[in-house]
Amino acid sequence: MPAKSALKNAFPIILLTIVVTVCVSLLTYVDSITREKISAQEDEAIKALLTEMFPEMSRYEFEDDIYTVYSDATKLGYAFLAIGKGYGGDINILVGLSDAETVKEIEIISQTETPGLGTRISEPFFTDQFAGVDINDITLSRDGGKIDAITSSTISSSAVVEAVRDTALEKVKQLEGNN
Amino acid sequence: MGKGKFAKEFAKGLILSNPVFVLALGLCPTLAISTSIDNALGMTLAVLIVLLGSNIIIAAIRKYVPNITRIPIFIVIIATLVTVVNLIFHAYLPDTYEALGIFLPLIVVNCIILGRAEAFASKHSVIHSIADALGITIGFMLALLMISFIRQVLGTGSLSVFGIDLFTLPILGEHPIAIFILPYGAFLVIGLLMGLFRRTGVMKGE
Repeated sequence: MPAKSALKNAFPIILLTIVVTVCVSLLTYVDSITREKISAQEDEAIKALLTEMFPEMSRYEFEDDIYTVYSDATKLGYAFLAIGKGYGGDINILVGLSDAETVKEIEIISQTETPGLGTRISEPFFTDQFAGVDINDITLSRDGGKIDAITSSTISSSAVVEAVRDTALEKVKQLEGNN
Repeated sequence: MGKGKFAKEFAKGLILSNPVFVLALGLCPTLAISTSIDNALGMTLAVLIVLLGSNIIIAAIRKYVPNITRIPIFIVIIATLVTVVNLIFHAYLPDTYEALGIFLPLIVVNCIILGRAEAFASKHSVIHSIADALGITIGFMLALLMISFIRQVLGTGSLSVFGIDLFTLPILGEHPIAIFILPYGAFLVIGLLMGLFRRTGVMKGE
C-alpha cells in the first residue's frame, strides 16, 4: 500500500500547512478590523500632545518627521520627536519650537529612567527650563548653558538636553533647506 | 469524572500548582510588570485569553496532531493568539498596551502557556483543559496581585487602581522605598514570598 503510507508520511506537513493557513487568515482578519482604530488612536494621541503645547492649534501638517502647527492661516510653530539615550533606555521627547530659533516647550512622552531620580526629568521644574530658550543655548549650566541638571540624575538630564539640542539644530537646518 | 474532576483541575492551579510560586513558570513577566495592580490585571487578562484559547484549541485537536509536528503547531497557535491579543489591546486598551510594552508580545515565549499545552491540554479533554486554564490563570493573578500590591505600596507609598487613589501611607508617601519598584525589588519580594509559603507549608515544591 505505497499510496497510503505516502499519505501517512505527508500528513504532518499537510496538517501544519492547514494550521498555518487558518492562523494567517485569522490574523489578517483581526488586523483589518483593528488597523483603523489603532491609527486613529495614534493620531488622537499626537493631536492631544500638540494641543497641549499649542492651545490655539486648529490644524497641523506632518512632513519629513516635522509637525507644522497652524491656527487657521497663522503658523504657530513646529514640533518634532527627539530620542535621548537615557540611563535606562530611550527617552522620547516631543519638542515644540515657536520659531526656527526658540523652544516653546518640551514634553517627555515616555522614559524608563530610575524611579525617584531620573524619572524627575518629566516634572515641570525640569522641563519648564526649556521654554523660551534659544536652541543654541540648550546646554547644562555646568557646561555654560541655561539648563540646570537634576541632582544625582546627570545622565538622564544631559540625555534630554543633548537630544533636544541636537534634534532641534538638525530639524531647523532641514526646515531652512526646504525654504 | 464530571463535575468533581473539573473542580479539581481548576483548584490545583490556585495553590498546589501555582504557576509562579510552585511551578516557577512565567517569572520573566512577573518580575517585569508587577509594579502596579493595573499592570497585574492587564497581564492577567492577556494571559487568560491566550491560555484559554490555546488550551481549548490544543485539547480539541490533540488526537490528530502527530508527535513530530506537535511543537511547531502549538507555537503557531500560541503566537497567533498572542498577536490577536496584542492587536486588540493596541486598539481598545491603549493604556494597558503602553504599560505592558514588550511583555505583551513576549507572552508567546511565556512558559506557562506552552507548559500547560504540553503538560496538560495535549493529554486531556477540552472541558478539563478549560478548568486547567482558568485555575492556572487565577493562580497567576493571585501571585501577581500579591507581588504588585507589596511593590506598589512600598515603592510608591500609595495605592491607586485604574486612576482611583485608594490610600497614601503617612511617611512612605513622602519617602517611598524606590527599590521595590526597581527590578531587584521584584526578586526580593518574589523570593521572600516563595520562602514564606514553603516555610509555612501552604505550598510545597513539586
